[in-house]
Amino acid sequence: MLRKSNVMLLAVILTLAVVLAACGNNNNNENSSASPSASTPASSQAASSDEAPASSAAAADLKEVTLSLTFPGTAPKDEKKVEEAINAYLKDKINAKIDLNVIDWGQWDNKINLAIAGREPMDILFTAAWNGHSNNVAKGAFLALNDPNGKYGNLLEKYGQGILETLPDAFLAGAKINGFNYGIPTNKELAEQGGVIYRTDIAEELGLTAKLDAVKTIQDLEPILAEVKAKKPELIPLYMKDGENFNSHYFAKYDALGDTSIEGVIMKTGTETTVKSRYDFPVYKETLAATRDFFQKGYINRDAATAQLAPQDAMKAGNVFMGVFPLKPGKDAEVATVANLQGKLKQIEMTERTVSTGETAGSMLGITTTSGDPERAMMFINLLHTDKQLNNLLNFGIEGDHFTRNGEVISATPNTPNYALGAAWMFGSQFLNYVWDNEDPNKWELFKAFNTDAKNSPALGFTFNAEPISSQASVLANIRKEYDPGLDTGSIDPSKADEFFKKMNDNGLKDIIAEKQKQLDAFLASK
Amino acid sequence: MATIASKKKVDDALAISRSSNFAINIFFWIYSALCIIPILLLLGVSFSDEKQVLINGYKFWPEKFSVEAYNFLVKDWRPVVESYGYSIFVTVIGTIIAVAIMSMYAYPISRRDFKHRGIFSFIMFFTILFNGGLVPFYLMYSNILGMKDNLLVLMIPLFAQAFFILVIRTFFMNSIPTELLESAKIDGAGELRTFFGIVLPLSLPVLASVGLLTTLGYWNDWFLSLLFITDDGPHTIQFRMYEALLDIQYLSSNSTAYSEIIKANPGFSMPSETARMAMAIVGVGPIIFAYPFFQRYFIAGLTVGAVKG
Amino acid sequence: MEQATEAVVQPKKALKKDKTLNIGYWKKYGVFYLMMAPALIVLIINNYIPMVGSIIAFKKITYESRSFLENFINGKWVGFDNFDYLFKTSDAWRITRNTVVYNAVFIALNVIVGVAIALMFNQMRNKRLAKFHQSVMFLPFFLSWIIIAYLVYAFLNPQLGMMNKEILPLFGAGEVEWYSDPKWWTIILPIVNVWKNIGYYVVFYLAAIIGIDKEYYEAATIDGASKWRQIRSITLPLIRPVIIVLTLLQIGKIFYADFGLFFQVTRNAGMLYDTTLVIDTYVYQGFLVTGNLGLSSAAGFYQAIVGFVIIIIANLIVRRVSKDDALF
Repeated sequence: MLRKSNVMLLAVILTLAVVLAACGNNNNNENSSASPSASTPASSQAASSDEAPASSAAAADLKEVTLSLTFPGTAPKDEKKVEEAINAYLKDKINAKIDLNVIDWGQWDNKINLAIAGREPMDILFTAAWNGHSNNVAKGAFLALNDPNGKYGNLLEKYGQGILETLPDAFLAGAKINGFNYGIPTNKELAEQGGVIYRTDIAEELGLTAKLDAVKTIQDLEPILAEVKAKKPELIPLYMKDGENFNSHYFAKYDALGDTSIEGVIMKTGTETTVKSRYDFPVYKETLAATRDFFQKGYINRDAATAQLAPQDAMKAGNVFMGVFPLKPGKDAEVATVANLQGKLKQIEMTERTVSTGETAGSMLGITTTSGDPERAMMFINLLHTDKQLNNLLNFGIEGDHFTRNGEVISATPNTPNYALGAAWMFGSQFLNYVWDNEDPNKWELFKAFNTDAKNSPALGFTFNAEPISSQASVLANIRKEYDPGLDTGSIDPSKADEFFKKMNDNGLKDIIAEKQKQLDAFLASK
Repeated sequence: MATIASKKKVDDALAISRSSNFAINIFFWIYSALCIIPILLLLGVSFSDEKQVLINGYKFWPEKFSVEAYNFLVKDWRPVVESYGYSIFVTVIGTIIAVAIMSMYAYPISRRDFKHRGIFSFIMFFTILFNGGLVPFYLMYSNILGMKDNLLVLMIPLFAQAFFILVIRTFFMNSIPTELLESAKIDGAGELRTFFGIVLPLSLPVLASVGLLTTLGYWNDWFLSLLFITDDGPHTIQFRMYEALLDIQYLSSNSTAYSEIIKANPGFSMPSETARMAMAIVGVGPIIFAYPFFQRYFIAGLTVGAVKG
Repeated sequence: MEQATEAVVQPKKALKKDKTLNIGYWKKYGVFYLMMAPALIVLIINNYIPMVGSIIAFKKITYESRSFLENFINGKWVGFDNFDYLFKTSDAWRITRNTVVYNAVFIALNVIVGVAIALMFNQMRNKRLAKFHQSVMFLPFFLSWIIIAYLVYAFLNPQLGMMNKEILPLFGAGEVEWYSDPKWWTIILPIVNVWKNIGYYVVFYLAAIIGIDKEYYEAATIDGASKWRQIRSITLPLIRPVIIVLTLLQIGKIFYADFGLFFQVTRNAGMLYDTTLVIDTYVYQGFLVTGNLGLSSAAGFYQAIVGFVIIIIANLIVRRVSKDDALF
């Protein structure tokens, strides 16, 4: 088989292969990979368009660039229309075009992991402590935004003056990993509170309003849900899914130290700084038992463990009575707008107000290491924090088309459902947002009040660096997927939790907790 | 006369007893029912009233008949029709190219007088034995070739399947007499002429069977879409059904129908369960209608090249 | 006569062997290379380069560079570290066990049920009815796994499905959380797999059975052999080659699971992983959900290597038993 002619043939074929790969590379858009041939390693940098002189922000000097903004949600029908409006507006400001890349919540984790691994060119990417931020930073997916020695220098200082001026220090301080910021937090509510949101029209019909107003604990919900189930069998009394239930971090108050996908927590409401698994905290088993009870009584949707719909989207379908949500002032009105149930939703606060890194780093926009123009990207993020018109354009659509405005208050139009992102908490500064007419006009004042006097978690400001235990973390992720959805939604018996944590212990949980503790102690010592 | 009579007796003897035959028949009636019933269930639910379904569960025969789910889908027919378009395009073009490419590869390696037959057979065959895995496969297409969100990436991976090349090659070797090729050569025909003029026409059975199986592969594929298609990309009908199964909201969010309905009656609640099933019926309906027509060819085709003698 | 032609060609070949790629050769055979080129290119892109790429399992890839290729080339060699880690997890054994055991069950069922059904078809008196039933049986083969997931869901939906609402109550049994309880799937998955695929195998077995010369049966009947005896002594041995080839092909893939079956039909429900996680879905999960390149590519490579060894061994065994039926 290895005769000379055959070897030559093989050589021809392999050369073909390399040439093909090279051609494939060159066909890539200019923002990504260099060709494999040794000749032009620097070509990738040159190919991208950041020739703009670093200091100048004048639009005239800037070459036109398209930035992608990738975030989770449901792609709105009028996406293109609004994109065009944004591009027209930005032309004179920073001469950039924005490509909105909305990815379905159910697919979000998958697609982002693939995109990062495959080094897909992206510019601005939504990230959060509860969405694997520290994991992704460890993988090198995000640029350090305030590293003076970084490739692009201290982007935050250079192009983010607006951010530095308007964003309270707590946000940036609370989102640092190893001293650098890898994402710009949204300026919004700082504290967090767990609770539920329910349909007031159905409650009224069933005469439950008074009872609902008196609800303080999970148990108080029981008789209400029982009645809803009895009188309205076609409704789901309580909608839950993995991550949106009584055992979620915002309800049970676990502080996962920066990344809720990795086990090992302390309590936000306490003062203890010993890191333990959730299993070791009494609230865990209590919550599981209470949820299981509700599930067995039929109050919770039977497919809760595999459900993909976010609670607000589930409410859209109209057959859900109540869902579990992280609350802030006016959350019920926000959800109502997204779910097209204006004026029909009300929230019930059921926990303490706390602040942890999960909140300060609970919604950020990061710039990826595959971005073709990080400087322009930073300029855009800066605008989201300072430019009222841009901010509202992105969030609510085109004035007159998707909403009508009277001062600071906006009203819905028939066209509103075609652009209702419901993602204002992801973009820049919420304090720039207009207020819907069904919301409290003093919304932002209420926010400020909400933020004061909240309990700070003992670990506020600390974000865990996942790199040392990344392998263990990924193994545990599989195990987690096996048990958490079922346990947290009451779909499987709480006794399975014993098995769950034993399995995690057998697969490296102890290492992870030890590492988290080590880093936390170091952080606390240096405070 | 005597021979016919004795033959009949032997035939009768060859046949099985009446009772065994009866048992076998019953078995198959039940089995066939089990093959059809699940689809009937989907059909039944799709024609049911949403509220009744939510209370009483899925039923074969709707408790309350309703075409609400179909109305909902029909109002927003554009995406579904688009998806069908994409599926048809990928399937038809993909199959034609795949069969062409594969038979062109199979022919040289079927020729005993071809010097490098061994190594090229090996190159093809080795891919059956060893597979690089999902990760490099994904990275190859999405990153090195930069193919995402286009129809090409849905077609290329199925263009050269070693198993089919093997089947075609076997057919060429066993069913095309070398005398024919010799006489073509003597007549002065070049290799290409021989291939297109003599070999291919004689190979219609195997090409048809490979073609049908490839068609099926393309039509039913959702995996490639799962990997390489995002919101902006072309959605085949299978992928659309997959999304509907996962998240029925997907249907409403992009739907003109939904926003219009909401405008019209604010109290509207989406027929999620029934619309989901209706989506499935819309996706599989054509296959079921077409099935009686093409299944015959399929069965015939499968046995042609594949039963190794 | 063919042999004579070959004999004539042989000596000519022997001569030509030494004068390899001269002009005459290219004139005659050049077009062959052109014909093979498209498929070759596809094979290279689709199969061979990824094969080379599977060495990613031996590297630790960071995401420093914007070019994936650079990251790949610059990645540190970590030898068997990823594999080491993979096999320490409790998952490694579980996914191997699930993949192999399910496939073994599927293979066994495909043969047993397939041959049995083919035999029954062959025995049916009413041939038209047999054809009808065969067609119906073949229908599920044409349905995609998505449709089948829908069908299964229609039955197993815990709140609304047929099983919990109608069928189980008939037997007085309580409801089952189908998508949360792993133990039922060891039965559900084989049933669904047979339901979908058996039509395909029946086609082959039936064709083989029909191809058997009636004279054998006639002679046996005259000798007084019973139907069962005939099946045992005539039918089965004579279709053995077909059975062996089909089974060998399946065994060769015993380390590869049908992604659609294990991913779609189970709705990728995490709680079922104990009995439904197979190597293919593990690689998919690992790569996508957790984005851990090292672990998932190690699992993929493990699958490729073991799969390769298995098919070689399977083929060797078949070669011993009956040379003609081996793949190579």
